[in-house]
Amino acid sequence: MTSDAPLIRMQAVGKRFGNFQALANIDLTVTSGERIVVCGPSGSGKSTLIRCINRLEKHDAGRIFIGQTELTDAMEDLNAVRREVGMVFQSFNLFPHMTVLKNLMLAQRLVRKITRQEAQDIAMHYLERVRIPEQAKKYPIQLSGGQQQRVAIARALCMKPQVMLFDEPTSALDPEMIHEVLDVMVDLAKDGMTMICVTHEMGFARSVADRVIFMDEGRILEQAPPLDFFQNPRRGRTKQFLSQILQH
Amino acid sequence: MEALSGWGDDFFQGSVVVAQVFVASLILMVIFGLIGAAAKLSGNRLARTIAGAYTVVFRGTPEILVILLLYFGTALTLTAIAQLFNPEIRFIDVPPFWAGTFAIALIVGSYATETFRGAFLGVTPGSIEAAHALGMSNLQVFFYVRVPEMWRLALPAFGNHMLSLIKDTALISIIGLNETLFVAKQAIGATGQPFTMYIVVGLIYLGFSTIITLTVMGLERYGNRHLRQGT
Amino acid sequence: MSFDTALIVESLPKMLMGIGLTFQLLVLSAVFGLILATLLMLMRISGKWWLSWPAQVYIYVFRGTPILVQIFIVYYGFPQLEVIRESVLWPVFREPFGCAVFALSLNAGAYVSEILRGGVLGVDRGMLEAGEALGLSKTQRFVYLTTPIATRLALPAYGNDIISLLKSTALASTITLMEMTGIARTIVAQTYAPYEIFISLAIVYMVLTFLIQKLVARIERHLGRYTLKEG
Repeated sequence: MTSDAPLIRMQAVGKRFGNFQALANIDLTVTSGERIVVCGPSGSGKSTLIRCINRLEKHDAGRIFIGQTELTDAMEDLNAVRREVGMVFQSFNLFPHMTVLKNLMLAQRLVRKITRQEAQDIAMHYLERVRIPEQAKKYPIQLSGGQQQRVAIARALCMKPQVMLFDEPTSALDPEMIHEVLDVMVDLAKDGMTMICVTHEMGFARSVADRVIFMDEGRILEQAPPLDFFQNPRRGRTKQFLSQILQH
Repeated sequence: MEALSGWGDDFFQGSVVVAQVFVASLILMVIFGLIGAAAKLSGNRLARTIAGAYTVVFRGTPEILVILLLYFGTALTLTAIAQLFNPEIRFIDVPPFWAGTFAIALIVGSYATETFRGAFLGVTPGSIEAAHALGMSNLQVFFYVRVPEMWRLALPAFGNHMLSLIKDTALISIIGLNETLFVAKQAIGATGQPFTMYIVVGLIYLGFSTIITLTVMGLERYGNRHLRQGT
Repeated sequence: MSFDTALIVESLPKMLMGIGLTFQLLVLSAVFGLILATLLMLMRISGKWWLSWPAQVYIYVFRGTPILVQIFIVYYGFPQLEVIRESVLWPVFREPFGCAVFALSLNAGAYVSEILRGGVLGVDRGMLEAGEALGLSKTQRFVYLTTPIATRLALPAYGNDIISLLKSTALASTITLMEMTGIARTIVAQTYAPYEIFISLAIVYMVLTFLIQKLVARIERHLGRYTLKEG
């Protein structure tokens, strides 16, 4: 992938679940190094949007490109594309039966097909970056929620992705742990990682995002740099949402 | 299949016996299960120990052993008792129907003990407290709140217990009960067609199992009607 | 009537001579049953109707009929069929041992496949999605994520099924096999001492049940070490 071409391109993307229109006519281009925060009320299609990008959901209208590759049913190697797209979930989704280290090594060994030693070195490197190398031998259940989410981030980073997707990474955390996860995400942003984050952490959006996207009823209603977005929201729906979320 | 002609009535009679054993053992099984559960939940240590032993023994012993022991054992005991009064008596025969019915009811009752106990404990304390707060008496709470809720919780496992009972009736043929498997043996003696006859027995049991399964499904739907959203 | 301890001391070793045969029946049926169950379970979760439908019918038929009837169909029924007599498997079906293992395996397969399916369905979907997002193929996800977790989830129920299978091996005595129960029945026929013989044998079965429970609990602890908060 060349750096000047857009990393992700979505053209008129739509997705239905039965009668429910989860996404409608989404146009979105993400260039390398860009940091995007997606927000909106629940059910607005934020999660579906990023889940379509690594094809955990199949879109049923429009086109999606990751680099030069289009996501279609006829794709030869979906997993090659998924390797380029890291994903972090709301509920961590660590492999409960493996130690932290094994969690980080599994996909490296199976998908990137590198040696055990190499995989372990990479794993330890990223555990240090998320500041929990000492937890390597523990099982996920023995960690706090914040630690688990940091392991999940490290696990995705081990695959050396071009872009990281975050699906409400702090929503399942106790308040005192939100910070340690956001700190790691800020570090990532500083290092130039391309990121799309679905989150309601507006402080994070303000300090890190290049662009904030507001979604409602499956559509992108508004997108702007954070300063604009927070100070002069143009749509009534956006104002209403912001006042609800920022009132405390 | 023409080998079957002439045996239809006998298989029907055998099926009636299966149904009779089923109904009788079902009633006994519920009684044993309820007594067992009550004992396990009671404050009396002796009762709890006896109920515990009951479940361990009947869950760990092959069904056929229980049936054989009850059949031959009671015959032996009854004979010994009768001889005390009348030394002339040589042997008292126990009807296989009752020995078998008791045996399978005891076995499945040991499983039902756990089911009933679990269902009793599964009733949410909140709804019991709410009923007390509304001024209902203990008896009212038991019959209007606890029993209906228990019943709903116990039903799926109870359906399996009924299937166990119906299938265990086949074992009673070993001590000479004239149910379908016993009929098949006679039919084979006359026709020399074991495969056909045993398949017929299998189909009869499959029919019984289907009736039980459908009944339980219907009851479950009825019992869970308040859990469905909308209509 | 009295309890003849000397008879027990004399008979117990005789009955224990059959423990080897009991074990052979148990282990072989458990292994073949598990293989069959895995196949049936994969068919059921395949999402293809022409695979899941036959598996469902199979499970329904084998769970809806008594195991004794299944054993009789194989042992007494199969020789009636020319297809069987001329097949390469005839040496298996000519012997009561082969018939017992065959019938017990088919039966266990039906029950265990449902247990395995329960385990597979209990695996967290989100965790599998994380595997998918990391680029693991469907097969890799099944082998490395679903299988180990489903195994742990299914183990307690599987342990109970092995105990049921142990109890079912006693039915092999009805087709002339001299495993423990077969020997016990012969001794009772000679001595007419059902209490002494059957009760001491029941205790042997209970000890075996207990040992199986202990073994399963140990495996469970080993497989479930990642579920404990304290490492």
